[in-house]
Amino acid sequence: MEEIVNNSEVLCEFLKKMIIDTLKLEDITVEEIESRTPLFRKGLGLDSIDALELVVAIEKIFDVIIEDEEVGKRAFASIKALAKFIRKKYKQRK
Amino acid sequence: MEFRDKRVIVTGGIRGLGKSIALSFAREGAWVGVSYSSDDKSASKTDKELKSSATRFLLFKADVSSRSDVEEMVGSVLDEWEYVDILVNNAGIVRDKLLMFLDEEDWDRVLDVNLKGTYLCSRATIKSMIARRFGRIINIVSPSAITGRAGQANYSASKGGIISFTKSLSKEMARLGITVNAVCPGIISTPMTENLDQETKTSFLHMIPMGRFGEPEDVAGAVLFLASEKARYITGQVLAVDGGLT
Repeated sequence: MEEIVNNSEVLCEFLKKMIIDTLKLEDITVEEIESRTPLFRKGLGLDSIDALELVVAIEKIFDVIIEDEEVGKRAFASIKALAKFIRKKYKQRK
Repeated sequence: MEFRDKRVIVTGGIRGLGKSIALSFAREGAWVGVSYSSDDKSASKTDKELKSSATRFLLFKADVSSRSDVEEMVGSVLDEWEYVDILVNNAGIVRDKLLMFLDEEDWDRVLDVNLKGTYLCSRATIKSMIARRFGRIINIVSPSAITGRAGQANYSASKGGIISFTKSLSKEMARLGITVNAVCPGIISTPMTENLDQETKTSFLHMIPMGRFGEPEDVAGAVLFLASEKARYITGQVLAVDGGLT
């Protein structure tokens, strides 16, 4: 996991796949998701219930806890923002 | 063996209704985690009964109104059993007094155990349910929440709060394969009702169309139904088990 977290590009690709797998998104591929696209509303079209599943998945995979809704909103702004958040928290937890 | 290897937590599960629910799940093959707050004697008795009926069980002395107790209890279940399938929020207390004499401590304690306890236990278990896209949360409420009852402003408010909580949480969890329902037992033969005086018992019996108090097993049956596959499309509901009382 360390190798994935330390490489920004690899981490972004990993997160795109994680979102597709976790939320069972059938009509979109990894290639179609831009790293700067917002995850919610007009972007990928996710909502707060989808976020619950992502919070649980991120905790399970990275051992990184998103402790409140405000933190979640910032972290889920885009794939790039999420990758940045995870990298920071992943290092702090060690 | 409808619940073979299902992981169940029943709060307040060593006496009365909770015990009957816990043993019913155990008899159907579930692994049962039971919490109790203070009655060590009853806990030891239930411990023996679970030993003879449950595939696996865990017994916790935990105050459901304490976040640390709840997190420790649920953490232990997750460490031992990996996940939780079914949570039955049954732990509850009464401190009946007319409002004029109902002091803040009696108000707070009843709200803390009944309502906050339901919130804390639900919150501690849902991550495990979300991860598997499966879960059943069943909250035990009371007719007092719907019709009100003199001397129970604290208790009825707590149970009414649980009904609203049930409905809101059901909407949050519906898409994630988790159902959230409430069971509303009428007057059931338990240690709580055994202490009623004869006059009160008689007046209650007149109010029940079926003419008898319910048995704990009557309530357990409804809880097991809501926890089963048969109830997979039922969420946010309050199921009365009361012989026609409400």
